[in-house]
Formats: sequence, C-alpha cells, structure tokens
Amino acid sequence: MLALAAGALGGAEPRPAPGMIRVPAGVHRPLVRSITDAAEVPVAAFDLDVLPVTNARFLEFVLANPRWARSRVKRLFADGAYLARWAGDHELGSNAPPDAPVTDVSWFAAKAYAQWRGARLPTLAEWEYAALASPTGPNGAQDPEFRARLLRWYSTPDDAPGRVGQGTPNYWGVHDLHGLIWEWVSDFNNSLVTGDARGDGGLERDLFCGAGAAGARDPSDFPAFMRYGFRSSLKASYTVHNLGFRCARDPAPTPR
Amino acid sequence: MKPLLTCLLLIPFLSGCPHQPEGRPPCCRELRAGPPLPDRSLYHIDSRWTSDVGREVPVGVLRGRPQLVAMIYTSCEFACPIIVNDLRRITAALPADRRSSIGVLLLSIDPERDTPERLAQFRNRMSLPIDTWTLLRGAADDVREVAALLGVNYRKDSRGQYAHSNLITLLDADGEVVFQQAGLNQGVEPILERINSLAAPCGTPAGR
Repeated sequence: MLALAAGALGGAEPRPAPGMIRVPAGVHRPLVRSITDAAEVPVAAFDLDVLPVTNARFLEFVLANPRWARSRVKRLFADGAYLARWAGDHELGSNAPPDAPVTDVSWFAAKAYAQWRGARLPTLAEWEYAALASPTGPNGAQDPEFRARLLRWYSTPDDAPGRVGQGTPNYWGVHDLHGLIWEWVSDFNNSLVTGDARGDGGLERDLFCGAGAAGARDPSDFPAFMRYGFRSSLKASYTVHNLGFRCARDPAPTPR
Repeated sequence: MKPLLTCLLLIPFLSGCPHQPEGRPPCCRELRAGPPLPDRSLYHIDSRWTSDVGREVPVGVLRGRPQLVAMIYTSCEFACPIIVNDLRRITAALPADRRSSIGVLLLSIDPERDTPERLAQFRNRMSLPIDTWTLLRGAADDVREVAALLGVNYRKDSRGQYAHSNLITLLDADGEVVFQQAGLNQGVEPILERINSLAAPCGTPAGR
C-alpha cells in the first residue's frame, strides 16, 4: 500500500496490473538468425502475467464475446479443435478444470483475449528473455540442473496440463513458462520468411541440419530448438492441446 | 436500361455496386451493409486502421468491390516499389470499364514509421489514384493478424529494413481470398484471369 502510494505520488511508472509482474529491460539473443539480424535484441521493461490464462478466465472472455464461442468462431480464426476440451460453448466440464491453463486456442483467439483485457501477447523476444530465467537467476542457461529439468519436461509428452501456479516461480516471479504448456507469442511466425525479393539465400534455411545447429547461438540448448521448431510449424488458426498463452503489457499503457 | 436492371438484380448477391461519387478514397465511402459475410472473409477482423487521409476504418469498409492487396512499407528501398509497379501493371491491363471497379489496398507492415502523413507522401510520390487505391496503417498486432490471414511473413532486421513475403492477394467483393501471386515481376495473365472470373461490374451486362 505504501509502495503504491509512493509510486502514484512520485511520478514513477505505474505498477503492474494485478496478476502481472514487471520484467526489467534486458536482451534476447536469438537462437538462429540471418546475416542481417542482430545478435542481441534489446527488450524493454514489460509487464507479464504471472500465470498462463486459465480456462476460467477464458470463459469470461467467451461470455463477453460470443463470436469466440466454440460453435460460433469462424474457421478462418480457429481450426476445428478450438476449445475441444471444453464441454460446450459455455461449460468447461471435467476435462477443463477452471484453474488449468486454457489450451486449444488459436493465435487469433489469444490475441483477441489479450486486447479484450487491454493487454497484448508477449513478443518472442520478451517471452524467451523471461523464460531464460531459472528459479535462482536471470540466466538459467548456465544452470545445468535447471536445464536438465527443462529437458525432462520437453521430452515427456503430457496430455492434460495440470493447474497453474503449482511449481516454483522463476527469478522474475513468473510461473509455468516451462513444464505445463507451450505458449503463443505475438510474432510466432517471423522465424522463416520465404519469397523475399532480396533472396532467401540470406536466411539460414537448413536450420535443423548440422550446419544450422553449428551456427546457432547455443547448439546444446535443445529446448530452445524445440520451441523454435514448434513455432515454425504453427499457423495462426491452429489449436493445439497443450498450447496456451499469457498476456503482456507495456509498463505505461497508452489508452486505446 | 438493361445494364441498370442487371445491376439492381445483382445487388443482393454482390453486396452492392460502386455507386459512390468518385474523387474520394475508397476508405471514405459509406460502410456498406449487406448480407452476412462468408465464413472465410477477411472482413471479419474488427481491428481499426488509419488511412493516409487520416480516417479510422475497419478493413471491411472496402467490401463491395474486389481488392488487390499487398503488404509493404514506405521506406522500403527495393521490393515495395516493384510490388506497387506490379499492381499498377495489373490494373492497367484491365479493360477501362473494369478498372474503377477493382480496388487496390496497401497495408503497411511498419506501424512505427508509416504514419498517415508518410502514407500520404508515398501516395503522392508514387502517384497512386485516390479513387481506387487505399493506404492503411494499423497497430503492430493488428498488422500481424492480417499478415497471418494472408500468409505474409515479415520481420525487421538490424538495419531497420523488413524482410517480407512478396505476395499480391486478390480478394473478392466480400473479402474472401480468391487468388495469390507470389514473387516480383510476374506475368499479369493469371491474376487478370481471376479478376475477370469475378462477377461482372455494374454498368456492364453480366457474363461479358
């Protein structure tokens, strides 16, 4: 309360909205890049949801926005498995606990939810930067135990994600960036650009051949490769049983 | 009399014919009511865009006539002028009486730099006709949404240039994708064929 008042009076940046935390500015080092891409992408401070969006929260959105109900959504914006785990348009049912992360949502649906909440999806750089943190430090890449734990999750198929917020938060206080679901980012589809006039020769096309891994930032970062490959395989209307999302926001949101 | 009659009969199916006064950009015409949009229409997106004349509109304002759509940015040094030129070649190859019934829509992928003023400068520099060409800019995530729908990929590189797909999309009058042409300096025949396969414009007998 004291801090709140101080922030309001001192002219400091407004505090993150409830359920969000401020991730300080940093850099994202892209896993793979073309010759014209920077090695380090600066990431400005941003607010991020502590938890992935749950079924309960997404149901509020659907109730307020009937066009996103399962039976009414346009195929253009979500494939046939949209909200497949739910019992109905407005019923979660036993396969979709209210406090489990919502999955089977398309990028379009995730974006619409975020806008409805006055937020946005995190960028790939923001997400990767936040997800780099282990429970004890901002850069988990140097932590063999953390990496081993990630690898175990990424190699263990899990059909029904459990409840959100059960494990240990990472260094920034964010839960479930790993270990529960995959998450949409706003620019998920910027990995591969084809048909560019300046020639695709400038882009490393054979990313997953040996040469691609050798040119990558850290060839041993298998989870990062998996995320990269997974994102590259997505289209914005796809829904996947273990793909959900969380929201982000700029620290001083401009009123829309 | 007969062409007018044909036109009236077609209205419910074509969701309107271009009767709007000329000399105004397409984005400033009235938003046309019509039958519900088909499921695959791009005009379902509800984001709002700002045109080079400063007006804020949904893309659905373009409903009513087919559109050739491309995503560009105005500080582009190489590909975008060629795309614009390709679009010009396509419209120039249309019969004169069809030319005004096809719109051209340029969407900016660079919301940071492409302000409405910049778009207006681009229109002047490239001499883009005011009555058929629409230039829009939108919020970053809304740009990404349209790009995802059109299958356009883009990203900014370290020099501030965008790598982007070179894609021209033909939308029918209801905003459904009819045809896409990839690459620069392509022959105009395939896309002209698709344009001509769309419903005949008003003022001409149907099926010509």
